[in-house]
Order: sequence, then C-alpha cells, then structure tokens
Amino acid sequence: MTAVIIMAFTMPSPMSSEFSLGPVDAYRIFYFHVPVAWVAVLAYMVAMIQSIRYLRTKDIIFDIKAVSANRLGLLFSLMAVITGSIFAKLTWGEFWNWSEIREVSIFILLVIYGAYFALRSALPDREVRATMSAVMTIIFAVSALFLIFILPRIYPAFSQHPTDSIVDEQGRLTMSPMVLVIFSLSMIAFTALFAWMYSLTVRLERFGRKVISR
Amino acid sequence: MPTTSVNWAVRVWAVVRKDLTTEFRTRYAFNAVVMFAVVTLTMISLSLGLNEPSKPVLASLFWVVFFFAAMSGLAQVFVREEEAGTAPILKLSSSGSVIFFGKMLFNLLLLTILAVVIIPLFIVFFETAPANWPLFLVGLLSALIGLAGSTTIIAAIISKATVKGALFTVLSFPALMPLLVAAVEITSVSFVGGGFEEILAPLQLLVAFDVVMITLSVMLFDFVWRL
Repeated sequence: MTAVIIMAFTMPSPMSSEFSLGPVDAYRIFYFHVPVAWVAVLAYMVAMIQSIRYLRTKDIIFDIKAVSANRLGLLFSLMAVITGSIFAKLTWGEFWNWSEIREVSIFILLVIYGAYFALRSALPDREVRATMSAVMTIIFAVSALFLIFILPRIYPAFSQHPTDSIVDEQGRLTMSPMVLVIFSLSMIAFTALFAWMYSLTVRLERFGRKVISR
Repeated sequence: MPTTSVNWAVRVWAVVRKDLTTEFRTRYAFNAVVMFAVVTLTMISLSLGLNEPSKPVLASLFWVVFFFAAMSGLAQVFVREEEAGTAPILKLSSSGSVIFFGKMLFNLLLLTILAVVIIPLFIVFFETAPANWPLFLVGLLSALIGLAGSTTIIAAIISKATVKGALFTVLSFPALMPLLVAAVEITSVSFVGGGFEEILAPLQLLVAFDVVMITLSVMLFDFVWRL
C-alpha cells in the first residue's frame, strides 16, 4: 500500500500530455479511483453471495457477513464518487454529468447501499430483517446488472471515461509497463485492504451481537 | 395437467377479485394514486405557466408524475393485509405464486386506471399528444408490466417494516432505474414522432427487464411471504 502511494506520486503521470484533457498530474488519481470503484463493486458481489447463502441456510452468520460487506461498500462507493468527481472537474470541467453511464452506475450503487440500510433500520425483528435485506440485495443486484452492462450497449455515446487509459477500443492493454506495475499493485493492495477490513468488520459485528444478546 | 393450470388461473383470479372487492369498499389506493397524479400535474402545469417545455422534457415529466403517483398506492396490496391482520389466512388459503400473481395483476389494473386518468389530463394541461400513439402504448404497456412485476415483492417486503410509505419509494427507485430510463426514452421518441426502429433497443431492454424481474420475484417471493 505504501509503495503504491509513493510510486503513484513519484513516477511520471499515466497520461501522456498530448492526449490529456486537463493537468497531466490529475491522471495520477487513476491509481486510486479505479481500485476504489472496483472494491465498491466487489463488496456488493460479496454481499450478494452472502445473501444467497443466507437464504439457503438461514444461518445468521451470513447475514452478518452481508451487512459487513455492504458497510464497506457504502464507504468505498462514497470514496469512488468523491475521487471521480474531483477528476471530472479537472478534466471535463464539471463535477457531475448525468450522461456519463459509469457515474450514474456508481451513484446508483450508492443509492442501493443507502436503501439497504434504510430498510434494515425499519425492520425490528432479527430474522425478518435478515431475510428481507437478503432478498432486496439480490433484486438490486439484478437491476444494477441491467443498468451497468446493458444500458451502455444501447446508448453507445454514453461514456466519456478515458477509454485509452486501460484498454483501447479493441480491448488491448495500452498501459506502459511502469503504469501497469503500479496499477496492478494498487489493485492488489486495495483488494487486500478490503479483505482485511471485511474480516475486522465481521468480527466487530459478531461481538456487537453477542453483547446485545447478553 | 390442463386442469391444474386452469385451476391455478382461477385461484389467481380469486385473489384479484378479493382485492378488487376490498378496494371498492374503501377506494383507498385508488383515491391516493389518482389524487396524487392530479395534484402533481396541476402543480407542474401551474408553475410552468406560459413556458413551453420541449417534448423530451414533457416525456420525463410524464414519468416523474407516473412513478411517484404509482408509488403512493402500489404498496397497499400487502400493507392492507398486514394492517387488517388477514395475511395469515391468505397464507393458508393459497400457494405463494398464486398470491404473487394475484397481487401483481391487481397492481397492474391499478396502474392501468392511473394511466387512463393521467394521459387525458396530460394532453389537456400540456397540449401535447403523443405523435405516434401505437409506439407510446407499446412502451407504456411494457413499462406498466415491469412496474407491477418488480414492485409487488417490494410491497410485500415493506409491509413488515415500521415505516412504510417512504421506504417503498426508496427501495423501488434503484430497482426500477433501468425501466424508467428505457420508458422515458420510448415516450420521448413517441412524443417527437419517431419510427419503431428508434425504440427497438430500449424496448428490448424493457421486455427483458420485465421477464427477468417477474421470474426473480416469483423465485424469491416464498422467502418473503412464508416468514
């Protein structure tokens, strides 16, 4: 993690100046923004898997795991929105643009996390709460799939993310070796960070429930 | 097998009829939905004054009014059962899929009535009729099926919650987002007067969404209902 942070600021910017839309250094945020957004999506996938497992087994531990994943997902999607809109202001000139599908997607993810916790707070009974939020997680996931994977294919002009920064139109990797190294390190570091935070949150939730049940 | 599927349809219809009867006694959901639609339409029309919004703006206004009006009444199907304490008897009387489709059909009827009320008012207030009616109706119908199909299970979920009304909208919005985007697109094309090939992609999305959401709801409904 430390190595990633040092390298992200000392190595040359991932974007060459002739293609850059704003200050070249702004593109350094790419090393943080993309992994954070990836973790936000990863957290939701974990939550969905745990929700399905809860519905199959009715074991409360899977509900605890699903809540923990969703907590972290809320945090990471908030960070992805913030880092993304700083970048958007510097390069595209505005903090927010609704015609950009990936911004819409991350925003919907944020709304989904918000709705999830709103639902949980309104259900007093433990078993009812666990089942209802598991069902809702699955419904949201399917709906989000439609939004994230199908809408951009219907409206092709929807995205203005820098397509040439990771893959070009033909799907080939276009990163220079140095950028690739830092970027993959960062992806690994953030995923590991998520795994660590996730296990901590699960333990915290379990202790919390034990204290309450006593 | 034919006798069982006929039997199944009869049972679904019985649930719809039961809900229609209770609805006619109080007309609660109907009044809420229609009054909400009238109030919001009047407010938009008043505040616009003499300004004339463009047709794509009108299409999105149409769906904003429709979405929120629908949200004010669709949850009633299950909230009513919980409040009257009739849910356990309903659980005994039929299987989950029968209840689900019965409630969904009732909501679909409610939405159709809402559409019948909103569309003439919309035409009167904003002096815009869809330039391409068949296109408008095809889009509307598939959006209504999707709306009823995906909100029925959410209504069942929130009927157990302590705060009901606001939560229903909060939960429905992210789930319905793809449907609303596609519906606004189709309505906007039909207002401007485009051809069928322009709505092909959003219509495919809409139909796929309907099928997937209804299937998913039927699969998950028993978890919510038999709790």
